[in-house]
Amino acid sequence: MANSLKPDEARIDGRTANQLRPLLCTRGLLERAHGSARWQQENTIVMAAVYGPKNVSGKRENSERATVEIIWKMKSGLPGNAEKEAEVIIRRTLDYIVLSAMHPNTGISIIFQAPALCAVAVSCAVTTNGVVVLDPTKAEEKNFRAHVCLVFPNRPKSTVAGLPPPVAGEPAEHGIITCLTRGAMSVNMSSILDKKLLF
Amino acid sequence: MNNYGPKLSNNEKEFILAALRAEQRIDGRRPFDSRRLSITFSKQDGAVEVQQGQTRVMAVVTGTLGPPFPDRPTEGSLVIFTEFSPMADPSFELGRPGELSVELGRIIDRGLRESRAVDTESLCVLAGRAAWQIRLDIHILDNGGNLVDVANIAALAALSSYRRPDCSIGGHDGQEVIVHPPEVREPVSLILHHLPIAVTFAFFADGELEALDPSVKEEAVMGGRLTVTVNSQGDVCAIQKGGGVGVRSSEIIRCIRIALSKAVEVTNQLKKAVPDSHQYPYLGEFFPISEVPLVLMLGLFFSGCYWVDANALERARRKVKRHPDHKNADFSKNRTDVVSRDVEMNEVGVASANQDERREAVMEILRTEDMDESTSSEEEDDDIPDNLGGKKQEAEIEAKTQVVAGKVRGVKSEGIGKDAPFQGGPSLWDDGVVNGSGTGHKHLDADAMNEFDQVSEAIQKTTMKKEASPDGGPSSLANMAAASVYAQMSTVQPVKDERPLGPVFAQGDLKPVPTSLLDAVKKQKKRKK
Repeated sequence: MANSLKPDEARIDGRTANQLRPLLCTRGLLERAHGSARWQQENTIVMAAVYGPKNVSGKRENSERATVEIIWKMKSGLPGNAEKEAEVIIRRTLDYIVLSAMHPNTGISIIFQAPALCAVAVSCAVTTNGVVVLDPTKAEEKNFRAHVCLVFPNRPKSTVAGLPPPVAGEPAEHGIITCLTRGAMSVNMSSILDKKLLF
Repeated sequence: MNNYGPKLSNNEKEFILAALRAEQRIDGRRPFDSRRLSITFSKQDGAVEVQQGQTRVMAVVTGTLGPPFPDRPTEGSLVIFTEFSPMADPSFELGRPGELSVELGRIIDRGLRESRAVDTESLCVLAGRAAWQIRLDIHILDNGGNLVDVANIAALAALSSYRRPDCSIGGHDGQEVIVHPPEVREPVSLILHHLPIAVTFAFFADGELEALDPSVKEEAVMGGRLTVTVNSQGDVCAIQKGGGVGVRSSEIIRCIRIALSKAVEVTNQLKKAVPDSHQYPYLGEFFPISEVPLVLMLGLFFSGCYWVDANALERARRKVKRHPDHKNADFSKNRTDVVSRDVEMNEVGVASANQDERREAVMEILRTEDMDESTSSEEEDDDIPDNLGGKKQEAEIEAKTQVVAGKVRGVKSEGIGKDAPFQGGPSLWDDGVVNGSGTGHKHLDADAMNEFDQVSEAIQKTTMKKEASPDGGPSSLANMAAASVYAQMSTVQPVKDERPLGPVFAQGDLKPVPTSLLDAVKKQKKRKK
C-alpha cells in the first residue's frame, strides 16, 4: 500500500496527487421533492432532496430564521453515531450558506441518501512522508496518516449582489466555513494545505 | 383513500374520473397499461435502482455469516427492511413507519419469503453453526404512485444481482468455515426458485372503474386497491385487498388473470436485463444512448434471439483491471473517451482462430479504451495488416460481426468487407498513432479472463446450435462477444433456455397466457352490453 508517495507518482487509480476524480452532478431527479440533486465522484455517490420552506411546529419554530433539518440515510442498517455526526456538521455548514433569515417560522429539510461510499466537499489526505494528496478514495483514506475536509465559501457574487469586503487583506473566498480533520499532521502541514487548496 | 400524495382539488378529481370512464388516463395510458420500467444496476453487487414512471426505488442486498435460528438449523434467513425515505414524499416522516409502509413490507415479505422464492437451504454452510443471513433494504426514493409493484421489482432485481462470497469448510477439525474473498474465488449468486411479481389495481367510483399501475394523482382519487402477487408459472403467491370499495368477485378473478399476463411480461424484462438498464448510470443521464439501431442490427443478423444478461457483462467487465496511463490521461475528456471508443471498436473487431489471438484481440480492445484520442477510421483501415488467411465465409461473418459490435454512429462499414479483417499481431498504436501508448500491454487478470471466457463460451454453446459452420462461426462470435463486453450498451442475446450465469430459475417455460389483456378488456365491454 503506497503510504509514501513521491509528488509526481501515480496513485492506485492512476491519478496524480493533485487530480480529482471526475465529477458529475444531476439535478431535478425526483418529482415529489421541491429540489433534488445527485453528486458523483466516480464511485462515490450522494443523493440529496430538499423540502421547504414548510410548516414546523412547537419548539423547532424559530421566529427569526428557518430551521434547517438534516437527515442522513445510509443504504443499510440503523443510523448510528457516524450518521449523527455527519448530520451535525452538514447542518452547521448549511446554516451559514442558506439564507434562513429570509424564511422565519418555517422549516427546511434536507435529506441525504448515500447509496455508495461518501466524501464531502474538497478533501485531501496526507501521506506519511508529508505529501498532500487531493480527493482520496475510501481505501486511500484508511491508509493515509491524516485526512482533512475543508469547505470554502464560494464567490458570493452568484447569489447576492455586491462583493463582501475583504477580511484582513484576504478575499472572502479564502475563508474556511468548515474544517474536519482525522489523524495527526504537523502545523506546517496545515498551512501547506491551505495554500494548496486555494484554487 | 390515502393520506400520502398530493392534495387534489375537486375539479382535478372529477377530471380523472371522467377520463377513466372514457378509458383514458391523465398521463395518456390506457386502463391496463403500466408505465415504462427501467432497471439500473450499480457497480456494487446487489444494489439496484428501479424507476417506473416517476416512482424511484432503490434496493440493496447485503449478507453476513452467522449462526442460524435454533428452530431451523439447516437454513439461512432472508430479512426485508422497507424504508420510506422522507425524500420520497413530504408526508413521509422519519421514525415511525406509517400504515402504507407496514403494508408494503408485508406484501413483499409474503411474496418473497413465505412463498419460498429465495432458497434458504442453500444458504446454510455448516448445519447449526454457520449460515448466511441475507438482508434486503428497500429505500423508497420518490413516490410517483404504485410503490408496492416497483419496490417488489427492485427487490427481485437486487436479489438476482447479488453475489455472496464463496465459502468452504476446512480447518484441522473440518468445522471451520473459510470465507473466500472475491479476488480468490468468484462470488456465488442466490438461488431463486421463481420470481413473484406484484401487480396493483386501483378501483374508482364505487368499483366501476379500474386501472393498473396507478400514478400518484390517481392514488389520491382511488377508492380501493388490490395487489396480486403472481409468478410467471401462474402461481398466486399473495393477494392483498385491505379495505376500500367493494368489488365483485368476478372482477377480482379477472384482475388475477390480467395480473398473470403482466407478470409474464415483467419476468421477461427482468430476466433479459431490461434494455434500458445502463451499466454506467451516470453516463445514461448525459448520453442517452439509443439502443434501437443496435437492436435492429442484431435482429437482422440473428434469426433467433440472444440476450446476455447485461448484469453479467457488467460484472465481467468490472473484473478486468484497467491501469490508465496517468501521464497522458486527460480527465476532462473522460466521458467522450468512453463514447468515442465505440467508433474505434468497429475497426478492431477480430476473427481469431485460437486462444492466443483472442487474447491479443482483447488486449487490443483494452488498449483502445485507454486512449484519449480517437483516430480517424481511414487511418486504421490502412494500418490493418493483411495477415489473415481468411476464409470467405469467415470474412463475411466478420463483416457482420464488426458492424454489430461497433456503434452505429459514424461507422465506415464499406471499408470492412474490402480489407481482410484484423487478426491480432503487433499493436497498431505503437507507431505513435496515438500518444502515450508506449506503456505496452496492459495487465490482464487471469480470473477476469476466465470469467470472460466463460461468457463467450456460453454464447458459443448457444450459437453452435444455430451456426452451421463450426470453423468461422464460434470463434468469430466469441470475439464478437469480446467486443460486445466492452461496447457500451451491448445487448448480445443468449438463447432463452440456457443461462450459465446468474441465478438458477425453475426450468418451467414461460407459457403465454391464452387470455391477453385486450381480450380481457373486450370481454368487459361485451358483458356490459
